[in-house]
Amino acid sequence: MIVRNITLLGHKDHGKSTLIGNLLMLTNSVTQIRIKEAQKYSKRLHKDFEPAFILDSFHEEREHGLTMDITRAEIAYKDVAFSFIDVPGHEELIKNMISGASYASTALLLVSAQKDEGIRDQTKRHLFIAKMIGINHLVVAVNKMDSVGFGEGSVEDIKNRISGFIGKMGFQGKNVVFVPVSAYKGDNLVKKSKNMKWYRGKPLLDLIYEKSGHSGAKNDGALRIVLQGFLDGRRNLVTGRIVRGHIKIKEKGTCIVPLDVNVSVKGIIVKGRRVKGAKVGENVALELEEEIADEVRGSIMCGELYCPIPKDLIKARVFLTRPIGKSLSIRFNGVEISCKSIKPIGYIDPTTGETSKTGRMAGLSVIDAEVKLSKRIPAERFEDTPELGRFVLYSGKEFAGIGTVL
Amino acid sequence: MIQQNLKELEERSIYIIREANMKFKNVAALWSMGKDSTTMLALARKAFLGKVPFPVIHIDNRIDFPETYSFREYLTKKWKLNLIVAYSEVKPDSIGSACCGRNKPETLKKIMKEHGFDALIVSIRRDEHGIRSKERYMSPRNQKFKWDYKNQPAELWDDYASKLDPGSHVRVHPLLDWNEIDVWSYIKQEKIPVNPLYFSRNGFRYRSLGCTHCTVPVKSNAKNVADIVKELETTRIEERSGRSMDKENEYVMQRLRSLGYM
Repeated sequence: MIVRNITLLGHKDHGKSTLIGNLLMLTNSVTQIRIKEAQKYSKRLHKDFEPAFILDSFHEEREHGLTMDITRAEIAYKDVAFSFIDVPGHEELIKNMISGASYASTALLLVSAQKDEGIRDQTKRHLFIAKMIGINHLVVAVNKMDSVGFGEGSVEDIKNRISGFIGKMGFQGKNVVFVPVSAYKGDNLVKKSKNMKWYRGKPLLDLIYEKSGHSGAKNDGALRIVLQGFLDGRRNLVTGRIVRGHIKIKEKGTCIVPLDVNVSVKGIIVKGRRVKGAKVGENVALELEEEIADEVRGSIMCGELYCPIPKDLIKARVFLTRPIGKSLSIRFNGVEISCKSIKPIGYIDPTTGETSKTGRMAGLSVIDAEVKLSKRIPAERFEDTPELGRFVLYSGKEFAGIGTVL
Repeated sequence: MIQQNLKELEERSIYIIREANMKFKNVAALWSMGKDSTTMLALARKAFLGKVPFPVIHIDNRIDFPETYSFREYLTKKWKLNLIVAYSEVKPDSIGSACCGRNKPETLKKIMKEHGFDALIVSIRRDEHGIRSKERYMSPRNQKFKWDYKNQPAELWDDYASKLDPGSHVRVHPLLDWNEIDVWSYIKQEKIPVNPLYFSRNGFRYRSLGCTHCTVPVKSNAKNVADIVKELETTRIEERSGRSMDKENEYVMQRLRSLGYM
């Protein structure tokens, strides 16, 4: 079964854990032991049965009612399994949120239908990050419909309020869909609700199934192999992962960038077996005619004709999670490269998607910037080859943000 | 139980094992002779042209099953493993029963220090227990082996923890995404040798293997790997139900983990 990662966004009071807890129960994806455990905890904390407790695994999370770190739940549906990644809402845990979201293809945004609970800046920021790191499909579940009398008006109200900025953040209208639900009562989660006959769309799980079906891996196009290192210390045997295109044995015109050496591949080994060719997603060991003098980690293998030109000055969108100091570095393509300067050329408000010429470089801010590096890297536009168009920023030893190449 | 795509799982695990071996100077793996750590070794052999390139550590409390010891000897020879046996004492625990839960971490600490390992491959799976869902593919432990799960480094886009303080090490989890049924399906597909205790004798089999003190068999008629896969397709009982440690206290795992064990 193919697993599709879905990142879950929304403010903590809007019922994310309740939703996943209930989905686990409704799809029989959880054992009776877990359900009984959750019942026990609900009772101990003097609450009605809380489906969220099926999910939250740490003692502190239960007692304090919040999700500290990434939590996952697997739900089998039709021929696939969804792995829901629930990410922490607290700002100080934003690196955990980014970590979780980076493995997803689709986002599920949960918004409360209750008027006073609307969508908050924090959630807007999460949505911005999700789009920035390559999540293009969005399902918006309008939750707590039971508490607003299941009325159509509440959904229209939310749609009107948030459609504008969802668009500004870069989501295309055709990639966004709305569904009214009650996470607690189960309406429109797996089956269509009888309480909302006015709703003509599909229930939540069907929508997620549809939206998450669009995959991004490119088997066609120019070859890109991210190199990990020498196998067994042999200078003519390298390992790596194909992130784009495919390779054939004895193919002419292959080179390693930015080492600037031409190589010819005389053998390809995939999972211990000799093969004639390998494709995107596969881990390979490559036997070369040549011995490579320099370290290959941090380099890529590609075709001579269609290879990225290595640069030490890149233009990137950077999300800063904390104020940055003087000692900056990026992690790109498996290696660390020190960063000489970051010069902002535009400031973006992550709660609206608007760009302005002036602003601050503080924690939780987004900038478009010129990033000057200590050496050349084989970077490409994030849109073209995500694996070679993204980096993690460190200030000293601390995680300070992420960047995507423009 | 959800069965995932074995090809995808296999690729990811091979990538992680290779990353660990190329990124860190001195890598070792824990091998309990159970199905998970044996599967991990099979994956390492695939990643490194048929040979496991790092030493494997068995924390031996001398009360493992005889079948486990003979399986250890058999596979060490067959796969030419570089086996390190670290002996651990069995002492009474807080509730009075003889237990190794508290002593194994100390033994591990000692052996890691002696050899100067900076990365330890551990074959845990996310589906084993709720708490394990917090783990990352690479998860640092400090000098005291503590796991600061609330303040883990970011791990995104296959870029794993790398900034290490002196004396600390990284736990590497190549099997994190695998479910129990995936492991058995892979064992079936690849014909990986397993400890015979997993197969049913007189209506009982071991589903999860610990030492003789903390493991009890579960009811089962599964006599071979194929039977086990079939059994898991329908079961609603959790894997570690045959381990007494978990029943006593659901936070034991969390405490063990924060101590740095497993």
